[in-house]
Amino acid sequence: MNLTLPRFFLNEFRKRRKKSALITFALFWGTLSVLLLLAFGRGMTSQFRTSFSGLGENLIMISGGQTSRVHQGLPKGRRIRMVPTDVQYLKERIPEIAVIAPESYNGWPVSARGKEINRQVHGTTAEFADLRTQIPQPGGRFLNPDDVAKGRKVAFIGWKVARDLFGAEDPVGQKIVVNRVPFTVVGVLQKKLQDSMYNGPDADQVYLPFSSFSQIDSQPYLDRIHIQPREIGLSVLVEEQVRALLGRMYRFDSGDKYALSIWNTIEDAKEAGAIFKGIEIFLGIMGALTLLIGAVGVTNLMYAIVRERTQEIGIKMAIGARRRVIVQQFILETLFIFLKGTFWGFITAFNLVHLVRLIPISYEGFGIEAYLLRPVFSLEIFLIFLGIVGTLVFLSGIFPAVRASRLNPIEALRYE
Amino acid sequence: MIEFRGIKKIYQMGGHALEALRDVSLNIGKGEFVSIMGPSGSGKSTLMNIIGCLDTPSEGEYYLEGRNVAGLTFDQLASIRNRMLGFVFQNFNLLPYATAWENVELPLLFNGKNAKKRRERVAELLKAVGLLDWKEHRPSELSGGEQQRVALARALANDPPIILADEPTGNLDSHSGEEIMGLLGKLWKDGRTIVMVTHDDRIAARSERTIRLFDGQVA
Repeated sequence: MNLTLPRFFLNEFRKRRKKSALITFALFWGTLSVLLLLAFGRGMTSQFRTSFSGLGENLIMISGGQTSRVHQGLPKGRRIRMVPTDVQYLKERIPEIAVIAPESYNGWPVSARGKEINRQVHGTTAEFADLRTQIPQPGGRFLNPDDVAKGRKVAFIGWKVARDLFGAEDPVGQKIVVNRVPFTVVGVLQKKLQDSMYNGPDADQVYLPFSSFSQIDSQPYLDRIHIQPREIGLSVLVEEQVRALLGRMYRFDSGDKYALSIWNTIEDAKEAGAIFKGIEIFLGIMGALTLLIGAVGVTNLMYAIVRERTQEIGIKMAIGARRRVIVQQFILETLFIFLKGTFWGFITAFNLVHLVRLIPISYEGFGIEAYLLRPVFSLEIFLIFLGIVGTLVFLSGIFPAVRASRLNPIEALRYE
Repeated sequence: MIEFRGIKKIYQMGGHALEALRDVSLNIGKGEFVSIMGPSGSGKSTLMNIIGCLDTPSEGEYYLEGRNVAGLTFDQLASIRNRMLGFVFQNFNLLPYATAWENVELPLLFNGKNAKKRRERVAELLKAVGLLDWKEHRPSELSGGEQQRVALARALANDPPIILADEPTGNLDSHSGEEIMGLLGKLWKDGRTIVMVTHDDRIAARSERTIRLFDGQVA
């Protein structure tokens, strides 16, 4: 076997490994902490994001309100209510709108097979599926344009409604009776995390084609309009145009924030995104600090090793070792110690994360486990981690190494 | 080969200066076998360290093969120690975690020799000192005489023209000491310059010339 400098250094290191056992453990622990903190932090924020977008992504929701300003001689306090034709009106006049859908709802009894429950029943169009992440379970579908155009008596129901009425049975193709009118179930909502809503989670809702809904609903008004702008950056512009157009139509001041109630999830998401990023950075720093403690230990150990091996350094200098060789040796030893500790920390963290991900989580309610039990181990996390470790290896190795290389050969040789 | 001109070495010891060498001038020719003697504190070791480029003089000039050593960088001195000088110490100074083979190979490694050349050279050297069968042994598994032979093999690794021996037999029994002196004698006959520090007159008698130091000066 050929001896090379790194191999020679590795040999010397191996013979001393017992002395570095504790430090290796500290590094193992530090690595485990950093990686778990990053993975759980990332998992938590990604679950937050998923459930945040459970309502819908890049969504602007508009409903009627009450004026708070006098406008064109009209008093304040007037109620503003939209009507179904406003949807087409807005779509034609605002080119920045990508998708738009109406929504009206009413609380009605819903029954099937002799069971009766009271639920919110909504009337809407096919576009609602994209706007509000209404993904059907396999074997079913959401309402389609035909349903709406022809006023079909079909329904799309939340998974809890399905369970409450049909138990474990597949509701697709079965009849439900809404407000005394029979409808055929065409699809059931797939389970999803959802933390923002009105009228309860989507799991508890019943959706009908807007035209069919209007036939059994007596009121002429529209409860809500959902809009997705073409680009995220256009959301404020779209919001302003909606206020201006509807303001002209219903005669209110477009600057009157109370005339329409607008829920802009895009602006909310921006803020939430900043918070999530903040949490992640915070967790990363916590982990890095833990690892730093290990690194301080390594520096300390390396200083001790330099002291202990002063005479050996002297010998190497006497037989012609250049400064670079001495520096290399100590940097490499630092690297060996780090590799040993961080390797096992990495393996352990990786396996723990994947074990935890196997634990099933419930989509009902908002259990903390839904956020905690889905840690994510990404390449990005690994790269961040490598960056931290690399920096620490360098910092904890360079000072002892330089000190070793600056030793006076004579004094080093005489050192006992 | 080795020329000292007015060499002074002053150590600063807690505020007051200690003159280890005061105005030493000497000349050691190529192929000479010189022993340096003197009581402890006379500056023998300091003289050896300066000759060995492990230390630099405070004043004066040191020419090694006509080249002024003063003003050379650490790495240049390291290179000189590696190629031109072979050290043999009283306490052997082998690396404890390295095998006999590795100890001998290290100067070759520092000199950037390739694997094949290193292998041939180490085998040749260990054979010459009669320790090829002990190549996998660590210093702690070897006797004092064997350790000193490994050290001698290491000193010869890069075929240096000068061997510096600091009390090479000081820690050895008379039989092992005799072996080492025999090997040194052989190296001298091969044309190498040998400089040896000793306080044993019988050992010094093996050399051609003895330089006696007293109070940091050549007596």
